[in-house]
Amino acid sequence: MAIQRRTAITAAISIAVAIVLILWKPTVLIYGLQAAGFYAAIAIPMGLVLGIVHIVNLSHGEFMMLASYATYFACTALGVDPLLAIIPTAIVTAIFGWVVFQLTIRRALKAPELNQLIMTYGLAIAFSQGINLIFSTKTYKMPLDYVTASMTIGDLSFGIWSFVFVGVAIIFMYGLQFFLTKTTTGKAAMAVGQNPKGAAIVGINVYRTYGIVFALALALVGAMGALFLTKSAIFPSVGSPFTMKSFCLIAMAGVGNIPGILSASVLLGVTEQFLRAFRGTRDWAEIVFFILIIGVILARSYKGRKA
Amino acid sequence: MKRMMFALAVLVMLAGSAYAQGTIKLGGIWTLADITGKQGSAAARMAVDEINAAGGVLGRKLELIVADDEGKADKAAAAVEKLATVDKVDVFIGGMASGAELGKIPAFKKYDKVVMSTGAAASTVVEKALGPSPGSDFYFHLHPWDYNQGASYLEGWTAINKKDPNIKIARVFLGYEDGAFGQSSWVATKTLFSPSMGFTIDGASFKSAAFGGGDYTAMLEAAKAFKPDIFLWAGYDADALPMLEQAKAMKFSPGIFLGAPPGWPQNFGDSKLSPNVTLYGMWSTAMNKNNPASDKFYKNYVAKFKEEPATYFAPLAYSAVYILADGIKAAGTTETAPLIKALEATKYASPLGETITFSPSMIIKHQGITRQKILQWQNGEQQVIWPFEAATATLVYPFPAWK
Repeated sequence: MAIQRRTAITAAISIAVAIVLILWKPTVLIYGLQAAGFYAAIAIPMGLVLGIVHIVNLSHGEFMMLASYATYFACTALGVDPLLAIIPTAIVTAIFGWVVFQLTIRRALKAPELNQLIMTYGLAIAFSQGINLIFSTKTYKMPLDYVTASMTIGDLSFGIWSFVFVGVAIIFMYGLQFFLTKTTTGKAAMAVGQNPKGAAIVGINVYRTYGIVFALALALVGAMGALFLTKSAIFPSVGSPFTMKSFCLIAMAGVGNIPGILSASVLLGVTEQFLRAFRGTRDWAEIVFFILIIGVILARSYKGRKA
Repeated sequence: MKRMMFALAVLVMLAGSAYAQGTIKLGGIWTLADITGKQGSAAARMAVDEINAAGGVLGRKLELIVADDEGKADKAAAAVEKLATVDKVDVFIGGMASGAELGKIPAFKKYDKVVMSTGAAASTVVEKALGPSPGSDFYFHLHPWDYNQGASYLEGWTAINKKDPNIKIARVFLGYEDGAFGQSSWVATKTLFSPSMGFTIDGASFKSAAFGGGDYTAMLEAAKAFKPDIFLWAGYDADALPMLEQAKAMKFSPGIFLGAPPGWPQNFGDSKLSPNVTLYGMWSTAMNKNNPASDKFYKNYVAKFKEEPATYFAPLAYSAVYILADGIKAAGTTETAPLIKALEATKYASPLGETITFSPSMIIKHQGITRQKILQWQNGEQQVIWPFEAATATLVYPFPAWK
């Protein structure tokens, strides 16, 4: 009952804020939601790995960068649109993720967390430097007409392509929830995530499940890598800032809370855009990210202590 | 048989004489992971090969020893130390980022060898650290300082406006990335295009895609509301196309859409959004048409490396080697004092479209190039708009409204 009331209050506040923003500064809500979808679509696969495999994958952004490079060169060579490459890239990245998991991450699962961090960080460096050696720091961007699609309401014209990321984030979220709660492999993954020893006792192949989850997360990262090309230019270090951002969003949402990543992204995206909309607060937009994280984590730990 | 032995002995002696005094060693320092450093060092090596193929300098071959500064001040300082003490180079060459250049200066001063610098525009950092003559006379700065660049932009736009008064330049908006580069650009632009000069200026920052940003909407909204005659953005190559895409989606088309990144993305000219985007730079392939030095450099570079020079840092580094070689030839030595004197008389017709000479700047005594050019993307190529004497096309104005 208390939870229902809290949810109702949160929903009412969110709707009220949205109405105020639509009437006062509609671009804050438009671009805030677009940014939120983008952040969430990148962070959700990392949240899956952290929630079930219990590993902070510091090469998360670099996997996306690799997928973007693969998509770019494949699409350029074949003359196809990156949207057509989403599923093939997801499959290739999943296979690559499975191989990387078996060769490296699996070996470090029982190692101290610091070793795991160093290992995934090492992978990140190897990936970005490898690309740097092959392609140098040149930036590549696919010129695509549809990314400039816009809508005009009165005097206001705004881009609508980035709403695609909102859809992608929602698909990722519901898709994963369906997988984790309705499929046998997903239920096994949930069991492994909650209690790996218990899961092993009841006959679940823990390492195989970890591998599947990692490959699934990498499939989503690969799909996002192909879509990323529609929004951004690519270069060797393009992925690394998104590792940090994704990790922070997961920290805000709480480990294992995939819908929470979407909420945290909305909070972050809208707040950033709100601050950027005013001359005096523009430069605060980057800092607010960390202020929100500190605030949310402190509030959560205070609430936990009280409980 | 005796004749053959004699001929062989002469050949050996002649061949040996070229190396009798060893090679003239150039210590090159660049950020090799960056395209500017990669291509700059390659162009310098090409110049060294050309000079050696033509007989070298003072009967000696040139030898380029390259060290990587990784764009970091500490690595740059270590590179100077290594080149000076281990490789015992005669002169230094190279450079791009001001932060890395700053790290080199104490070591440069310690070894007092001639430096032919190809980068470092931040005068408040690098020029200040070098200090005035005679303490900094060893330092020959080819790249314009930031205030040189700013002054040339103002000069250029004023000249364009004078030639065609329909081209409006009174309202200037700067979108600047929120790092050191963007912030210093904002300070410099505000000073140059000040209200006292008849300009109205405003600006807003954005997070560059190079550092995890890439959302320009808030900055573009502010720019659109300002209704600028010139919209200028100071960011990186990764920002170029996404910013244009977002500007198109928002239907933001100022009179002049001007970008000032250090380089442009691969195949930017192929994009449908690139036509009539204006830019600042020092060199473009369009100059090959009316500049033989540029044409020669371009053809040799493409033939040797099977790729186009992507930025002006390649012809700049190439020029630096030739200027040093000519200076050493004129001085007859690599000793610092006579070489400085010889370099002060430099008149080098560079592939950058101008004859490089050295004159005092605000602090140092040896400043090379002082102007950047105003260019415009037309038909997939950067055309020179100003200086008019080097122009390869006329400005398309206004920047067409988005369809």
